[in-house]
Amino acid sequence: MSSEMTDTTDETLIETGFSVETDRGREPTDAEGIVRSEDLSVYYGNERALEDVTIEIPENQVTAIIGPSGCGKSTFLRSINRMNDRIESCTVEGELTFHGKNVYDDDVDPVALRRKIGQVFQAPNPFPKSIYDNVAYGLRIQGRADEVDLDDAVERALKGAALWDEVEDKLDESGLDLSGGQQQRLCIARAIAPDPEVILMDEPTSALDPVAASKIEDLIDELVEEYSVIIVTHNMQQAARISDKTAVFLTGGELVEFDDTARIFENPKDDRVEDYITGKFG
Amino acid sequence: MPRNEYQNQLETLRTDVLEMSEIVQGRLEGALEAFETGNVERAEAIIEGDHEINELYLTLEQNCIELFALQQPVAGDLRFIASTFKIITDLERIGDLATNVGKHTTHVGQTRYPDIEIPEVGGYALEMLETAMTAYAEDNVAATYEVARMDEVLDTLCEEASAVVVEDLLEREAGDGTLFEDVSRVLLTLRDIERVGDHAVNVSARTLYMIENDDELIY
Repeated sequence: MSSEMTDTTDETLIETGFSVETDRGREPTDAEGIVRSEDLSVYYGNERALEDVTIEIPENQVTAIIGPSGCGKSTFLRSINRMNDRIESCTVEGELTFHGKNVYDDDVDPVALRRKIGQVFQAPNPFPKSIYDNVAYGLRIQGRADEVDLDDAVERALKGAALWDEVEDKLDESGLDLSGGQQQRLCIARAIAPDPEVILMDEPTSALDPVAASKIEDLIDELVEEYSVIIVTHNMQQAARISDKTAVFLTGGELVEFDDTARIFENPKDDRVEDYITGKFG
Repeated sequence: MPRNEYQNQLETLRTDVLEMSEIVQGRLEGALEAFETGNVERAEAIIEGDHEINELYLTLEQNCIELFALQQPVAGDLRFIASTFKIITDLERIGDLATNVGKHTTHVGQTRYPDIEIPEVGGYALEMLETAMTAYAEDNVAATYEVARMDEVLDTLCEEASAVVVEDLLEREAGDGTLFEDVSRVLLTLRDIERVGDHAVNVSARTLYMIENDDELIY
């Protein structure tokens, strides 16, 4: 495993030197990809959920992960910010790096990692708190409420999630009173408030109607100017619409093909991918 | 099952396109013979029958649009439907060219230039179209390239025949009442035949893209 790190890695992953301020407006400079895995295998007990996955996720692009149920796509997503740590039977082999630093190294703090790699889940899950507190939650729990102008941070995050105009007059109202689509954008605001670099999205529109889903898709298109987005979706048309790259996992946790999205949906190399995306398999 | 039904719709579309092609080929063949022999009645029937090809084209176009809208095809299915959507336009245009040939037909037939065998030149264009449709029907890559090669031969045949007409025109003296009309009819028909070849190449180009995602012949 390489211990070589980019200039930012020392500051981004290791608990003691975690940098809050990141260089915004950056160009994609990480030639090896912002997130990279090599021969990554994940087991739940004796059952292998991911098999030797090697992939480079590009910076400031949308990467879609598609595949049938049980193919390991959500497992891969959770591996990136070590959400699998919470599953006792889960073991990880191989390497998964963020800015060249293996996130499974002993000196990596998972909480610090998740500040740089945020996550949005399938169903909108705002806390039973005010809209303001939902967004401020991440900063408060990280003990950073005193470091930043909280009002400003909340406003920036809500604007970043294209929700500000709809809630600026009711920040004290419960996040649970919002519509489903607004709740999901609130969750996105909560995810971007700590200023991450990568946003993981696990089927973020599957519980939403087409109009609300469309707003999230538009938002993703804007978010990618500042963040790298990795999205798991069962909706292949959505993957085709919004992503730059598409990774296709098939049953057994195998990454079968990873390429430009246009290539995947026009002329995939692997016959199994062709069969899957045309509905002949899975 | 919806997915099986979808696959059946794709196969039906392919079959319908091949049937449309057979109709178009028959019309063109008939028009060329009518032109050569002066069978005006047959030519008029071909002109009047063009609306059938147009209606068939619109039906198949609608079928493609419905498949796009309802099935949201990707990969090989996408290339097949997208290519078919273009190919039926070429077939419809060949139908129009058959009516053009019909409109150039007179009772006299093509007697002025006995050295020019319009049905033979046109037959070569028809052979190109048949080869192109075989490629489409059988996913035959080699046949697509064969059509592109044949087009060069057809262009030469048309150029040589046109040269005969033009040379004759330059040698003639004024006073031949139907000269300009005859020359125009033959030159326009040769141009229509040459365009049939171009459409056959288009069909092959889209078919090659359909089979192998290769746009080499598309230009």
